[in-house]
Amino acid sequence: MDKLKRLVLKNRFTVLVATLAVYMSVLVVEGALTGREARVVDFDNPFFDLSVDLEQLENLRQNREGGRQSLRD
Amino acid sequence: MNNGQLRQFLALVRREVLEHPSLFIGAPAILGALLAIGSLWVLSMLPSEEIALGVEYLSILFDGLSPLQMAPMFMLLAVPFIIVLFVCGIVYLLNTLFQDRKDGSVLFWQSMPVSNLSTVLAKVVTLGAVVPVFYIATLFVLYIFTTIQLTILGFNYGVEVAGLGYMLGAAVVSLLLVYLSALAGTLWLLPSIGWILLFSAFARRTPLLWAIGVFILFGFLEDFVFGSQFLANWVESRSDPSRYLITEFSSILSRFFNYEMLFGVLVGAILIAGAVYMRRFID
Repeated sequence: MDKLKRLVLKNRFTVLVATLAVYMSVLVVEGALTGREARVVDFDNPFFDLSVDLEQLENLRQNREGGRQSLRD
Repeated sequence: MNNGQLRQFLALVRREVLEHPSLFIGAPAILGALLAIGSLWVLSMLPSEEIALGVEYLSILFDGLSPLQMAPMFMLLAVPFIIVLFVCGIVYLLNTLFQDRKDGSVLFWQSMPVSNLSTVLAKVVTLGAVVPVFYIATLFVLYIFTTIQLTILGFNYGVEVAGLGYMLGAAVVSLLLVYLSALAGTLWLLPSIGWILLFSAFARRTPLLWAIGVFILFGFLEDFVFGSQFLANWVESRSDPSRYLITEFSSILSRFFNYEMLFGVLVGAILIAGAVYMRRFID
């Protein structure tokens, strides 16, 4: 125990790493036990559905190219 | 804690207040003065009929109502003060242990019979329990000023102003709710407080960058290596103000004593313990 304490209190970096290790361990164990869900990067869009239709995309591209061509002419 | 230790702790708290008067007393005083000047300016722009109508409306609205029921309404007026307290709190936490090492005062305090634990705890108690008192005192002065202002206007325009007494009562009761919310907020955000204190004690320079940088790095590494997001989810779960704002007296106990609050205190205590041990390393 004394050896571990000496190792942890060796310098500022060991104290930081030990503290963060305990912190993360507690968070992960509690998160796993209580089943906290991963919600942070769920990009749910409640406003509209985005459906990308390749055929429509191609039509749009052709229309725009046609428009640019007419502008050049 | 015996009498001597208590006096020593109170002296440490007093030292924190005296060392940061601009954050703890100056900031709310300036905000209060700006709001008072702003209200005078707005009143000077309004036509007298509208002012008379407004004072009469307020007086009738609050007349005879229980201050306990109307108090939550006045918590909205405290929002600018809560935001300023939040910002000043972050600035204070980032600088407090860092500045102690930078100006060498840590050497003096460590030569005194004061433990690192007492010093760090005094900082947390100062921020969570003492500083809100200054903000609330400023709000109290502002409410008194506004009530006097409205009463004078009411007398000028011959409006019945008895209801303004009830309004002041509700405003004063709301200050208690604001203070309890500040206490609950400190406990709820104790992990964040501990995190900032840890890096304030650790960093040789720019503690803010260390605190943010390590958090992002840990979040990224956790997601990249383990594919989990416990850290990010944890922070997200602590970022909802409705979990610690107390808007009615019946919810006080449930706000302070629930699983997530107590677990947050435990996690905060781990980080604060790290800051206490870190304080033994002086540049």
